Amino acid sequence: MIKKPGSQTELKKNVLEQSLCTGCGACVGLCPYQVFYADRTVQLFDCDLPEGKCWAFCPRTPADYDHIKKSLFNMDDLTPEIGAVKGYYFSRAFDPRLRVNVQHGGTVTALLELAMGEGMIDSAVVSSRNEEFEQHGLLVTDQNQLRGYSKSWFTVSPTVAAFNRIPDDRKKRAGVVATPCQATALAKMKTAEIPGYNGSDLPGLVIGLFCGWTLSMEKFYNLLGRYGLSITDLTGMDIPAGKNILELFTAGGLISVPMAEVDHCVRTACRYCMDSTAEFADLSVGAARFGKDCEEMRGWNQIIVRSDRGKHLFELAVAKHVLQIREAPPSALLELKNAAVEKKKKALKNIVEKSHSTKNLLYLKSDDPVVRKYLGVEKKRKGKL
Amino acid sequence: MKEKTFIKTRNVILTGVGGQGNVMASRTLAHMLVDAGYVVTIGETFGMSQRGGSVMSHLRISHDSVKSPQIPRGGADVIVGLEPLEALRVLTVYGNPQVCVLYNSRPVYPIGVITGELSYPSGETIRDAFERLSAACWEIDATSVGLRLGNPVLSNIVMIGALSKTGLLPFDRRRFEKEIKKTLSAGKYKVNLKAFDAGADMIK
Amino acid sequence: MSKLLSPDRSTVLFLGNEAIARGALEAGIEVATGYPGTPSSEVIESLAGVARERNLYVEWSVIEKVALEVAAAASFAGLRSMAVMKQNGVNVASDFLLHLTASGTRGGVVLVSCEDPGALSSVNEGESRYFASMMEMPLLEPTDFQDAKDITKWAFELSEAIGNVVMLRSVTRMSHASGNVTCGKLPTKRRNAAFEYDGPVMDSQTGPMISTPVMAKHLLRQQKLKDVQRMFDNSPFNRYTGPAKPDLLIITSSACFLYSCEAVEMLGLQKRVGILKLATTWPLPPNLLEKYLRKAKTILIVEEVMAFLEENVKVLASGIAGRVGVKTFFGKYNGALPFAGELNPDIVADALGKILKVKRKSLPADYQTDVQKTAALIPVREQTFCAGCPHRASFWNIHNAIALDGRKGFVCGDIGCYSMAALSPATGYHTMPTLHSMGSGTGLASGFAQLSRFGLDKPILAVCGDSTFYHAVIPALINAQHNRADITFIVLDNAGTAMTGFQPHPGLAVSALKDVVPAVDIAAICKAIGAKVAVSDPFDLASTSRILTSFLADKGSLKVLILRQACALSPEKKGKKAFDVKVDESLCIGEACGCNRLCTRIFRCPALTWDRDTKKAVVDEVICAGCGVCASICPQQAIVKTEVSAPG
Repeated sequence: MIKKPGSQTELKKNVLEQSLCTGCGACVGLCPYQVFYADRTVQLFDCDLPEGKCWAFCPRTPADYDHIKKSLFNMDDLTPEIGAVKGYYFSRAFDPRLRVNVQHGGTVTALLELAMGEGMIDSAVVSSRNEEFEQHGLLVTDQNQLRGYSKSWFTVSPTVAAFNRIPDDRKKRAGVVATPCQATALAKMKTAEIPGYNGSDLPGLVIGLFCGWTLSMEKFYNLLGRYGLSITDLTGMDIPAGKNILELFTAGGLISVPMAEVDHCVRTACRYCMDSTAEFADLSVGAARFGKDCEEMRGWNQIIVRSDRGKHLFELAVAKHVLQIREAPPSALLELKNAAVEKKKKALKNIVEKSHSTKNLLYLKSDDPVVRKYLGVEKKRKGKL
Repeated sequence: MKEKTFIKTRNVILTGVGGQGNVMASRTLAHMLVDAGYVVTIGETFGMSQRGGSVMSHLRISHDSVKSPQIPRGGADVIVGLEPLEALRVLTVYGNPQVCVLYNSRPVYPIGVITGELSYPSGETIRDAFERLSAACWEIDATSVGLRLGNPVLSNIVMIGALSKTGLLPFDRRRFEKEIKKTLSAGKYKVNLKAFDAGADMIK
Repeated sequence: MSKLLSPDRSTVLFLGNEAIARGALEAGIEVATGYPGTPSSEVIESLAGVARERNLYVEWSVIEKVALEVAAAASFAGLRSMAVMKQNGVNVASDFLLHLTASGTRGGVVLVSCEDPGALSSVNEGESRYFASMMEMPLLEPTDFQDAKDITKWAFELSEAIGNVVMLRSVTRMSHASGNVTCGKLPTKRRNAAFEYDGPVMDSQTGPMISTPVMAKHLLRQQKLKDVQRMFDNSPFNRYTGPAKPDLLIITSSACFLYSCEAVEMLGLQKRVGILKLATTWPLPPNLLEKYLRKAKTILIVEEVMAFLEENVKVLASGIAGRVGVKTFFGKYNGALPFAGELNPDIVADALGKILKVKRKSLPADYQTDVQKTAALIPVREQTFCAGCPHRASFWNIHNAIALDGRKGFVCGDIGCYSMAALSPATGYHTMPTLHSMGSGTGLASGFAQLSRFGLDKPILAVCGDSTFYHAVIPALINAQHNRADITFIVLDNAGTAMTGFQPHPGLAVSALKDVVPAVDIAAICKAIGAKVAVSDPFDLASTSRILTSFLADKGSLKVLILRQACALSPEKKGKKAFDVKVDESLCIGEACGCNRLCTRIFRCPALTWDRDTKKAVVDEVICAGCGVCASICPQQAIVKTEVSAPG
């Protein structure tokens, strides 16, 4: 990993003021200077420490992400499109009660319950909502309470901040449900080289969530307003495969919003993100979407098993009948990879547009093989035009 | 100790930090001297001083005439510092080779020192400077005496007690007793007298 | 017995302001009013202290203009009265003053202006002497403490002799200096109040008290000033000391007289320099000046702050140049003395030495070098909020709310201890970029709030203290509400006029005389104006911050937050700690903590210091006031507060 003289000022200059902040919460909860408020990372006071963890952990500060990936995963498992893959399946929770009030197949909740029940972890950081309907990370230590936090709200939750607040000696026994940027931050924590700091066994488990983008709260609230809704009216949200709509569940019924309108509400930072499958997680979970059978697959997840630890948990889940598995056809994996590649190309295009250079890729290194692969394609295509 | 008299105007500067009882000390001193028949002029800087700033009272003691409420540069005969840094600050403006200094050894750190932007000279450095730049100096741990007596602000009276014992100014315990009898309640009178005596005892 | 009532012929050490108060008592004053302001406050304070005994009416008025009006009413009814204020208070009172000098007065009425050259405790060094010439009223400037007492007494006689208000000007080095004063007699007779107004319009004793007919009354006032000049020519308060034929004549007034004497003595020039001290500086005494201008060719005029005396002496001298000859003037206009700041004996001696080419005796060179080296080691002592000051917590909350809001809002400041937030920005966490006169913060905010239509899209905040609120904020607040200004207005209510020494104000149910009086509720006024009003304790960081952030997010209306917590130096709090505060050394992880010394580097409380040896925070028990706020900012919870149980 590259040593970078990090500081709060540089974070401000290179991340916050560049609209690169994903709101993951990695820089929050480490010190009294940075907080997350109203969808933004706020620096309350100036801190002059030359080598801050805020800089080191941020998923949008420059680092050798290729090196981090190689140090955390088996080289043979790595794919350029979606990172390490030890296995790829369709899955859902066996327990039908669990599936009632969850986003898709309940895979994440089922895995967390198992990990906690087996003593692999003794707490889990999930995302919750406060009375202002802002999301935040919440530390759950009671296995029976995990089911209350299993919905996706498509806005940012500074989940990593809650992980930061766990006492150091308990961090390695914690599991985190993480979006791609959060998983990246956690990977940087594991590999950061800071004097007097060792994060190699942090955290105990990372379950990644597939993520195409998150919504800017302010813009999304405005959009809801145009539909005569407020955030308090929503009981759930989903993006069904193949329909190009955002579904809003309310007491008054289902409302579908065309994706073109939703696109305007996407958080700016998400446009520069290459990772849609949480490549730094132990396991990554998303909604299953496969060809035309999207309605049939609606109650299912797709899961990528990435690390040894992830594999162990996954196999245990199958053996203990916690997860129900369907073999995923090769075409499903191809479809996922294609989508992931599209995201990567788009992100790189946006980055180049922002920096006006293919050499300066903001937080990414231009000699990162994955970056080179998809940046090259981009250039060629452009060249043809 | 007998009261001593002097020929020319005597210039005394009492200094400290807002809240240390500087004004009270200088007025007590002045009242004693007016009672003794001197013409006293005090110039005080307060107002903003309660906001943790430097405080200074200039006392001019004359046989016959009102003096400027500000002592000229290099013109102090006696400096009484309720805080070491402030005593030193005053010395660098109003000091001269003949000046006598009494200072309380307990520092009150300026905000710039607390934040780490500035540094406070060591006790050693301060002591050396006073020894080099004055004719006589006494370092007195007055705040500790005040704390022992129940209130750190009594350090100002400890310093007055010490000052009386040096014989630099024409007042003694009897005069102090008389003065505070007029102005203080019985309870405060007792502890102030104790502070005065403790201060006097610290001058060998 | 109060020192102020010392018997006839006793010699007492009086503060300049006490000497003025004593002078007023000897003149038989009945009514005294004022608004607190350094360096003026002790005049009213000491009169309030003897008011019962002397059967006086003394009040802390809500604003200087009203103070002068209340005093004028007493004068109209034939009583002797005095209004006391600091220099900028005269500006506030000046609109009424303009009309008062035009209508004339009856009972002796004196306007006391205590000014602050060098702005030792002000944010201006404004001059009010020019008001005397502008409004054609006599101006008196005492030069020492005995003078201050005697001249004040005389000022009432003068006022009655000319039927107009007399201005008495003091400065910090007079008001806040002390010296021996020999007392005179206190009168035993009292006057009765009677107000007659049915007489002819030009009858000063029985006619209506109005400024019309304007021309006629104006001419009358100017006629009276001619009488004043004659009185001043013969006044015993103007004195010359020095040789019969001096090489140089100093003309001076106020505390500058004492500096001048000292300077002459320092340079040993007693045989070459004469000093004409003028206690009557407007209108100038023409014959007296002519007499002394004849004595010397070289004139040095020593005064603070502007060249008021210099200008007027020059005008007078030019008119009589044929008789007294052409003079060489030294003063502010030729750069001999500075046009800004206060003077002192050194500045005057340096100027005098330069003019007469005389060197001052200097200290040994090696001593001077050592002094310079030592001085370089002494860190500055920046002013800051006291330990336990509620303003520190208030600005902490304000800063955080502004930061969370994210639109770079700012606070329009006002006059009080909280001005420190502007004077020493780090103390106010860099939130307060404007600071002007009392009440102007709210007026400025009311203006800034209108600028969003021109692109200034920031939350606008304003602060003021409780006393300031009554003084001059209410019109600005009404202006804001009526014109739909979106501002978050914060009243830093610390239960008294803290900066000037806890004088009561209309928010408290106690008067200057310690009578129980109706309190006027700030929250009720703000509600009546139509603002959203909330009250919070600034020491409760969590709830104050919640209210503030919600106020900033609540766009389009006037919001008022009253932050209520008594000043740490207030009589009810001083010396009583609410909490014992300590740093738990086992919890403070010092420099290993990611906090980067938030407690000492940022929070800036004089009682919370950093031990450079242990590299941990430490509470100085001598300075700590026990507010306990620092316990809520330490991320390690290493600062521990335990409640101090009330005795008995």
